[in-house]
Amino acid sequence: MFAARPNNFATRLILSLALFMPMAVSHAFVQDADTSAEAIQNDPATPVAGNPKGDLTIVTFFDYNCPFCKKAEPALEQVVKEDGHIRLVYKDWPILTKASISGAQLALAAKYQGKYDTVHAALMSIPGPKIPEDQMLAAIRKSGVDMDKLDADLKAHGDEITALLRRNLAQADSLGLQGTPAYLVGHYKVTSALTYDGFKRAVADARAQAKK
Amino acid sequence: MPNACLKTFFGFLLFTAMAASAQAQSPPAADKVFQLSVAHSADDALILNWVIAPGNYLYRDKISVTSQQGAPVKVSTPAGDMKDDPSFGETEIYHRQTRATVSAESVGDLNKLVVSFQGCAEQGICYPPVTKTIDLKTLSIAELTARTFAPAQSNSNWVSDPALERPSASHADALEAQPKKSDLGGSFISMLVAFVGFGLLLAFTPCVFPMIPILSGMLAQSGEKLTARRGFMLSAAYVMAMALAYASLGVVVAWSGQNLQAALQTPLALGVMSAIFVVLALSMFGLFDLQLPQAWQSRLVGAGSRRAGSLGGAAIMGFGSALFVGPCVTPPLAAALVYVAQTGNAWRGASALFALGIGMGLPLLAFGTFGASILPRSGPWLAHVKHVFGFVFLGVAIWVISRVLPTWLVLVLWGMGLAGTGIYLTAPQLRARTRGQAWRKWPAFAGGASVGVGGLLIIFAVVGSFGLLGQITRIPAFATITAAHAAKFETVATSQALDATIASARQNGRPVVLDFSAEWCVECKVMDRTVFSDAAVLARLHDFTLIRADATNYNEDTRSLMKRFGVVGPPTVVFLGARDSKEIAGARIVGPVDSTTFLKRLNQLQPS
Repeated sequence: MFAARPNNFATRLILSLALFMPMAVSHAFVQDADTSAEAIQNDPATPVAGNPKGDLTIVTFFDYNCPFCKKAEPALEQVVKEDGHIRLVYKDWPILTKASISGAQLALAAKYQGKYDTVHAALMSIPGPKIPEDQMLAAIRKSGVDMDKLDADLKAHGDEITALLRRNLAQADSLGLQGTPAYLVGHYKVTSALTYDGFKRAVADARAQAKK
Repeated sequence: MPNACLKTFFGFLLFTAMAASAQAQSPPAADKVFQLSVAHSADDALILNWVIAPGNYLYRDKISVTSQQGAPVKVSTPAGDMKDDPSFGETEIYHRQTRATVSAESVGDLNKLVVSFQGCAEQGICYPPVTKTIDLKTLSIAELTARTFAPAQSNSNWVSDPALERPSASHADALEAQPKKSDLGGSFISMLVAFVGFGLLLAFTPCVFPMIPILSGMLAQSGEKLTARRGFMLSAAYVMAMALAYASLGVVVAWSGQNLQAALQTPLALGVMSAIFVVLALSMFGLFDLQLPQAWQSRLVGAGSRRAGSLGGAAIMGFGSALFVGPCVTPPLAAALVYVAQTGNAWRGASALFALGIGMGLPLLAFGTFGASILPRSGPWLAHVKHVFGFVFLGVAIWVISRVLPTWLVLVLWGMGLAGTGIYLTAPQLRARTRGQAWRKWPAFAGGASVGVGGLLIIFAVVGSFGLLGQITRIPAFATITAAHAAKFETVATSQALDATIASARQNGRPVVLDFSAEWCVECKVMDRTVFSDAAVLARLHDFTLIRADATNYNEDTRSLMKRFGVVGPPTVVFLGARDSKEIAGARIVGPVDSTTFLKRLNQLQPS
């Protein structure tokens, strides 16, 4: 049932080798399309945290009304902080509620006063799956953001923010993501929330894979 | 060397985790997870029905119905389960399935309704809202946009990189296993405590009963030298070995994928076990000297010393009895084995099963220690005690072998056993003709009654085997002695055959009872005889399509069948819904059950 039996081993080995072949081929093939991998990992408009020069990039797709994202957030932040060589890319992907979109817009607007991290942290620390916009605003106000400037930036850069959100949506779609959260850890796609140990392991695996 | 073995071993485990998870790599789309169907009720209200895939839940307050223009339409939903989690707040959710009702008045003269709903998967992912349009005339369901706002056109440059997709299968799974691990384990200690408690509960089931005579038989053999200390030592050796047997069983099963326990349930293995008990019983009766088993034991341990011999013997007996009593505790063992597989950590799993065994053994340990000190030193009573154990051993022998013998023969054996006990009790009384007080004659009375009951059993069994009793009493156990089971199962052994059978079941609009069974599965035989031959069950099963997945030949086909439904081993009964042929979550039966339990489950699924 859940176990590989010894006589299966050879079969599986051959099978995995067979699977490996097209992989190598498509790698060569995809060189051209690498701009989109580039877009996902290095979109200049996307907020970045951690070590910008880190050897490993984690891309996180999240929603400010996603309880699992919020639950996993402290673990992710801790792993990034402890590791010291991880570049963390925030993909605001507001798909769960209407308020999620407002939250994402507010957070991205805060980037123009260098406070994306602050707003992001404030929004992620409100527990619950259905936080309305006014509650988000209250949390942002409390986090010490210049609200007037935030308003002004929302107006001035509204189109840029919307364009970024659309790019994020398209990228998530192209990755076949079905819900939040999702993480790209190096070359690995992880489609559910992780624990501290989970992130540690994903990071170690991704580094090991990168060395190959 | 052991290190190399360990590495190979863990390699296998890891490999296993990967193989098992291939299908779990990326979560299915939201509308696959939450399947909506609609129907009209008798009073023209609209019923919205959701089937929720296992491990997922739907928010109650995210179910909304509007007109096409977006005007809210009143919808009533049932109370859900409360989920209270620090990062979720208090939310009301539905598992497995739910239904909502839109009354005829609320529908009014609308032609179409827009229904939206939203939920999450417990493994840690939340889905965007799903929105569907329902045509109220045809009741057809159409996809509206899946998102609150539609994404820009998909980036055609980006292809999902297989290098990114493929390895994530194993990794995502290994990672997904982590929260489960911490959920189940919390800390290692609390997990062990939980499993000890679990085992302790099992210790009070009849399953562990046969272990008491085995242990007390051993203690009795130890004779005059029996002190509390010695009793403790012996029973500790016995219990430790028993726990060890469970631990190694778990690891081996997880590793090899074989249902080893099942192998131990073969008629041959049971016959041997039964024979051992008969031999033990005979030795208790003094037919031959007890030296023989002890000589075996000391030879097995390789030490001439009596002491070491009996300790080793206790351990061997403990190991053996754990394995053959094991089938009795299939459901908890299955749960424990699933745990082993989920953690992907052999030692954690093994420790869990070891703790389970210790829990099961605790009462035995108490019995061995204190029972020994309570017993008087020695004397003629010992012979009587031994004889009593002899009869108990004979009973155990019958009990063990009864799983593979036809009912009538089992009845004859029980009858003979009872009659024999009766004669044993009566004979000395008759010979001695003691003129003591009336109470001293109780063995004679009890013996007489026992002989009577035994004789009746034999007569019934023999008469019953000719079908007479079945006709008279209408007890299926008697009526269907020749047929293995009376239920009409369609037997399949491959996934393809199963699909074909399920497809035809769907045409009949019947839910499916999918029974995983095998020739070597003794518990399945018992269920055939008791459950699938029970008149009430059979009557109830008329409304179901009966499919039997035959795992007798343990090959790639049957393995994939079992894997498809996540079945650890037979007997397991899985119920599939009539409409979608998906497993009805939470309904499956793992391990043997009696007909009452089975009937109750059927009634829950389809109230008559």
